[in-house]
Amino acid sequence: MALFDDVRNIIVEQLHVPPEKVTLEAKFIEDLGADSLDTVELIMAFEEKFNLQISEEEAQKLDTVGKAVTYLEDKTKT
Amino acid sequence: MNSIKMPKLRIGELEAKMPIIQGGMSVGISLAGLASAVAKLGAIGVIGASGIGMLEPDEAGNYKEMEKKALTREIRKAKKMTDGIIGVNIMVALTDCDDLIMISIDEGVDLIFIGAGLLLRLPKVLPPDRLGEIATKFVPIVSSARAMNIIFRYWAKNYNYIPDAVVVEGPLAGGHLGFKKEQINNPDYTLEKILSDVVNAIKPFEQQFSKNIPIIAAGGIYTGEDIYKVMQLGAHGVQMATRFVATHECDASIEFKKAYIKCKKEDIITINSPVGMPGRAIRNQYLKDVSMGIRKPFKCPWKCLKTCEFRKVPYCIALALTNAQKGNLEEGFAFAGADAYRVDKIISVKELIDTLLEEYDEAACGNGDTV
Ligand SMILES: Cc1cc2nc3c(=O)[nH]c(=O)nc-3n(C[C@H](O)[C@H](O)[C@H](O)COP(=O)(O)O)c2cc1C
Repeated sequence: MALFDDVRNIIVEQLHVPPEKVTLEAKFIEDLGADSLDTVELIMAFEEKFNLQISEEEAQKLDTVGKAVTYLEDKTKT
Repeated sequence: MNSIKMPKLRIGELEAKMPIIQGGMSVGISLAGLASAVAKLGAIGVIGASGIGMLEPDEAGNYKEMEKKALTREIRKAKKMTDGIIGVNIMVALTDCDDLIMISIDEGVDLIFIGAGLLLRLPKVLPPDRLGEIATKFVPIVSSARAMNIIFRYWAKNYNYIPDAVVVEGPLAGGHLGFKKEQINNPDYTLEKILSDVVNAIKPFEQQFSKNIPIIAAGGIYTGEDIYKVMQLGAHGVQMATRFVATHECDASIEFKKAYIKCKKEDIITINSPVGMPGRAIRNQYLKDVSMGIRKPFKCPWKCLKTCEFRKVPYCIALALTNAQKGNLEEGFAFAGADAYRVDKIISVKELIDTLLEEYDEAACGNGDTV
């Protein structure tokens, strides 16, 4: 799962958490300690890395690592 | 009296005679009345757009439509009363934020101040390449250099354009605060500290776009001397709100203004607002009830806030603030800055501005500045 690795790297870098904490179930705010600005920066980093635009409504739904991964897999499928 | 020392404030081609912005105040605290009175004197007057549809008399109407109508009317009214600089303050957290932005642009307001969230995505009907063409300036309100950085980075990358100025609001401001509750009294989060961070963080963007981005300081600026001090720290202007409430021209009821005059230091508290941020307000029975867990039942008039969990929150913030604006403080409460207890009388906007100019000059002279 190359995409998961990319996502995990972004999260580790942005939130300064150990990679093993970044599981599919992990919640950005509750489990990984993200604050409101972190979540915005994460979305921006995903947009940059995967070269896409994530709307505000979609962004709000992505509260776990798993949801972000599924969403990004979906969007990057061609 | 004209200040010999207070510099002008330039934002793009706009030029205010003095570097003072009257902060936008919702709900209905700064409308065309206050904003035009301030703009007439050469400062910048701002209409608070959030929630103003709720002040319209027609109970049966559609709030979203009434909000648009009310904002259009207030902008036109203000522009009729003065040729001075008029802005509109809009919260990102509003579900109709995009509509209010487009109305402000279409009605030709000089500036849009955007707070309570980060304005990253533009309204769909506003193509980014129009940003440079429209006369209306965009001014985000931030409470940290981090937030400023995110907005400017996002705009630079996606729109190849950056906002025209930035308001830095510290923890002593009134209304909703861009801080966590535990940060509010933490000495690492003073206005002075955040301001100097922003002064540094903005430089690369100014260079990249060859554009001056004036920095406006806000939150707990009360006297002309305070204005002088933050300008020494690198601010190009100030945004003040609390002091403008206690003016004859302020659009709130007399009862609202009297709450400012009567309150003591210990009455000024921070609350958890249904907006999802802390807010600073004057304690009264209503807020005491809420803090004790008493619910204030309401029927959500229309989901005005993206972030409000209207089935769970103990009261409706829009209703509470509109009641207070109208003078019914039994069923609402007044937002206020940390300095509101210092207010002891209601004066005219002109008296207030004259006092500020005088105090500024005194501070500048005391510091040995020459003209
Ligand atoms: C009654 C009241 C209502 C306010 N409403 C808003 C608002 O709707 N949007 C906003 O961005 N700021 C709002 N503010 C913040 C002010 O615009 C301003 O930035 C802040 O209060 C400045 O601090 P000061 O009151 O100490 O001068 C409000 C402040 C007050 C006192």
